[in-house]
This record gives sequence, structure tokens and C-alpha cells, in this order.
Amino acid sequence: MTTPTRGVRALRFEPARQRANADAVEAALAAAGDAHAFERLYRAHVGRIHSLARRMLSEDEADEITQDVFVRAWQKLGTFRGDSAFGTWLHRLAVNVMLARRSELGTRRSRYYDTDEPLGELASRPTAPEDSMDFEEALQRLPDGARQVFVLHDVEGYRHEEIAEMLGLVVGTSKSQLHRARMALRRHLER
Amino acid sequence: MSNHWTDRLSEYLDRELAVADMAEADRHLASCAECRATLAELREVRSRARQLAARSPGTDLWPAIAAAIGAEPAVRSAEVRPIRSRRRYAFSMPQLAAAGIALAALSGAGVWLATTGAPGAPLAVSPAPDAPAGAQDVPLQAASLRAAATYAAAIGDLEAVLADGRSQLDASTIRVIETNLALIDSAIAEAERAIAADPANAYLNSHLARTMQRKLDLLRRAATLATTRS
Repeated sequence: MTTPTRGVRALRFEPARQRANADAVEAALAAAGDAHAFERLYRAHVGRIHSLARRMLSEDEADEITQDVFVRAWQKLGTFRGDSAFGTWLHRLAVNVMLARRSELGTRRSRYYDTDEPLGELASRPTAPEDSMDFEEALQRLPDGARQVFVLHDVEGYRHEEIAEMLGLVVGTSKSQLHRARMALRRHLER
Repeated sequence: MSNHWTDRLSEYLDRELAVADMAEADRHLASCAECRATLAELREVRSRARQLAARSPGTDLWPAIAAAIGAEPAVRSAEVRPIRSRRRYAFSMPQLAAAGIALAALSGAGVWLATTGAPGAPLAVSPAPDAPAGAQDVPLQAASLRAAATYAAAIGDLEAVLADGRSQLDASTIRVIETNLALIDSAIAEAERAIAADPANAYLNSHLARTMQRKLDLLRRAATLATTRS
């Protein structure tokens, strides 16, 4: 029995291609000043951007930073050349906006190197079912450095080389932060 | 549990170890049940991360974004959710009075614009910044220059109000407002330069009016946003 690999692949990727094509048209209209086209782009992508903001920063900051991302996207639409999908361009812009916001907030919550306390607290918590916390909640309790690397690598699919460049780290630090995050989160898997 | 391979299990999982190290890790895992269990958990964590679903915000953020970019919101103003700030601010009575004068001037400018056109060519200022270029071109003739002066005066009043209230606005709000004002100012300057070279060009006159209307809308929204946050 033969497997219809090509047909399955086509079915799987056709919606993504159609989405990218539709986005490209909307982006061109929006770049020409069509706010309705930009609103359609917003509707199509707000979930992913807001989720990224929630995980990279916090639930409290997610609405404000999502608004900032789309305002910045509107202002920078002229730089979108269609070399990549609009969603990819928007996502990268969003990461940059969020990292800049993190820098603006200073070192208040930045703990790349100075302490393992939040991570240790997570790792030492009981793992009985009644004590398990939601995976997203556990993610929020990671130190900033480990959380950002984990989100960018395991959730968003960036490579360590890209993450190191974005965060200003060496690749080895990105790898070690990812491992620390995974080791902490494994105790909070639903059992 | 801690050994040389425990710290490298994520690299093993992601197949980022050198070939020789992968082989050595395979040999270790074959004899270490604890590391195999840890590896399975790490794999599950990675799998869970990949399955995390995107979730839209609980409230629609578009109205505030539309206001920030100078677009007409698609919902009633009562539903607009402004960019959130932890700070509270309010204009003083003199500032509110100045805002009222400025808004009255704006209304007057709009009426004046709409009623002082050349015979047979009713004047109109498009309220839709996203209208296709040329879709609502209406010749404004020489009157548009006087209208522009009136607009400029009204804009100046509102800018003064916002300047006075600047210290009471949150930084991100100021940044958004200023960025958008700068963009609109740039467009206005460009239109004025073009009109200076071609004063009778109906499209340019209409474009200038639309751009100034867009600036008025943004300033009006900014003032409303500030005065309603208390």
C-alpha cells in the first residue's frame, strides 16, 4: 500500500501558503495606508503575539506590549519587503520590542547569572498530582533568562545561534539556560 | 542526581552533541536508568512546549491600536480600551478649558471647510485616513490654504494642551503619540512643499486636508484618552 505523502503534504501546507499570500496582500495594502487591511492582519496574528508577550514578559504586561508591537508594525510596514512571510517578520519584530521592553525595565527581574532561587523553588516543589501547577504557570515562575531562552527555543522554534544573538549571550549560555528551564519544568508536568 | 551526562541531556535530546559524544551518551544511557528517566521527562517538556496553543487577549486591543495609528476604530468609542497605564492623570480646569476652545475651533474649521468651497464644487474632508488615494478627492481650490491655516491654529491649541499634560501621561503613551505625530507632520510638510510647487492641484489640496484632519483626530483622541483616565 502506498502512502499519499505528496498529497498529505500539500493538504497540510496549502493553508499556510494561502495565509502567507493573503498576508502579503494585506501588508501591501496596509503599507499604502489601508487601516482595514492592517486590522485584518491584527486579527490573524494577535493570538500568537499576545501569547508570546505573556510568556516572554507577563500576563500583566501582555496587553500593553501587544499594542506596542502592532503600532510599531504599522510604522515599519514600509520595511517589509516580503522576503519572508509577514507572520515571520511580525514575530521577529515582536521579539525585539519585548526584549527592548525588558531592557527598559532594567535588572529588576533579570537573573541570568545572579541567583537560582526561583528555579530552585520550582525544582524542589512536591510533584504529587494535587500539587502540580499549570504548565504555563510553571513557565512564568522561571527566572527571566531561562524562561526567555525556553520560550524562544522550545515554544517558538528559534535556534541557539539566533537566540544568542537576540539576547546578547554566547551559545553555550543559551544551551545551559534551556537545560535549566527544562529540568525545572519537568517536575510540573501533568501526571 | 548529577553527573556529566545529566547536564548534557538537553543537548543529546536536541542532537546537538558531536558524533563521538552522542555515541558515548548512548552507551551511558544504556546502563543508567535514572538518566533515561530524566531524558524521557525532558522530551515530554519539549513536547508540551511545542503544543502550547496561542490564545488571544481577553479584550479586543484593536480599538486602542486604531486610535494610536490614527485609524478610525471599527467599534463605538465607549468600547475603546485605551493603552493601559498604572498611572493616573487628569487635566487641570484651565487645560480642559483650553481643550474645549481648541475642539470648538476644530469644529469651526470643519464647518468652514465644508461650506466655503468654489461654486459647484462642494468641499469635504475625508474622515477616513485609509481611503484609497484619490477615492474622495474633492477640489479645495484656494480656500484650502486658508482652511489649512485654520487647522494649523486649532492643532496648535491642542498641542499646547498635550504639552501641558505631558508630565501626567505615561511614557509609552507619549511615545506612541509623538511617533505618530511626527509621521503625520512629515506628511503635512511634504504636502505643503508639493502644493507650493503646484497650488492648483486639487488632489494635493485634498490630501493636505485629509492629513491635517488625521492629525486633529489623533490629537483629539489623545486628549480624550488623557481626560478619561482617572
